[in-house]
Amino acid sequence: MASPAPAPAQQQQQRGEPKPQKVMVAVDESECSHYALEWALRSLAPVIAPPLLVLTVQPLLPIGYVSAASFGAPLGMPVVAPELIKSMQERQQQLSKALIDKAKEICAQHGVSVEAMIEVGDPKEMICEAAEESKVDLLIVGSHSRGPVQRLFLGSVSNYCMHHSKCPVLVVKKQD
Amino acid sequence: MEEKGAAEAAAMSGGEAGAEASAGMKVAVAVDASEESLHALAWALDNIVVRRGVSSLVIVHAQPGADHYVYPVAAHGIAIAYAPAAAIESMRKAQDEISRKVVSRALDACKQREASVNATGAILEGDAKEAICQAVEEMHADLLVLGSRGLGKIKRAFLGSVSDYLVHHACCPVLVVKPSKAHDK
Repeated sequence: MASPAPAPAQQQQQRGEPKPQKVMVAVDESECSHYALEWALRSLAPVIAPPLLVLTVQPLLPIGYVSAASFGAPLGMPVVAPELIKSMQERQQQLSKALIDKAKEICAQHGVSVEAMIEVGDPKEMICEAAEESKVDLLIVGSHSRGPVQRLFLGSVSNYCMHHSKCPVLVVKKQD
Repeated sequence: MEEKGAAEAAAMSGGEAGAEASAGMKVAVAVDASEESLHALAWALDNIVVRRGVSSLVIVHAQPGADHYVYPVAAHGIAIAYAPAAAIESMRKAQDEISRKVVSRALDACKQREASVNATGAILEGDAKEAICQAVEEMHADLLVLGSRGLGKIKRAFLGSVSDYLVHHACCPVLVVKPSKAHDK
């Protein structure tokens, strides 16, 4: 269940004192998602039930591009060298791990315990799925502040999450 | 903006969280006549105001401007007539009345929770999304809270969505609270 275990505040149940919420922050390599994490730690620390869930989603490998690179290989040869795929996967995993480490560091600076999650797939869908599975009470995402046309074509993770998640969503835009 | 006014509220609920509730936060909550926006206000009150303490809470409500009042008249030739001044006046009064009711309902919700917060109401005129966006900027809010009707994609495209606009244009983080589908914790 989503109730936090250690919070001693639960003892003062005068009028159903609201309990801290289970919060998930989605981060990727963009600055704005780390800004969102920092904002959450700075401004909402008392609201967050420990541990804070930090999720990063590894996009699926663009196998299509890799295949195109070996266009013209003789028939019968493997289209994509398995070593190449493996090294790409490793690199992705390293990136994700670095992101999580950076997030953990930021959380440690604010004295908030954190639980890391790494998923693979389409970021917007995986974020909503993970939030639902973990039954979070609040989902926090950053926003790129792209213009409307770019947003239409490139898609917006924050937009998608806002429409599809079942829990409240906090979108933190980095101000210039 | 670093008022210690909310220190009392913060101390009683935020003290045990370990992290001290630092500078006071100014929260704006946009309401309209819908239940969803009241639900969003309730969520904000329970989770942010009571748990963390805010230095001030502002309820904003945008009412449409009076110059939208035209009505089609089945007269010869002229299909649309602008409403006479008297009609505009009375419509405006009715609008004001509705706005006042909406805001006072929201302020009552704040009082009910005995959240010791400095809650004020503001009635804005004009297009909802732009008016709220501007108001949030002028009052230097730290957080804007909205309800969301959960319109589907198509309706959202035609009717326009205040929450979509504000998420992308507001000068502060925006929290969108959807109506809960009775998912228990």
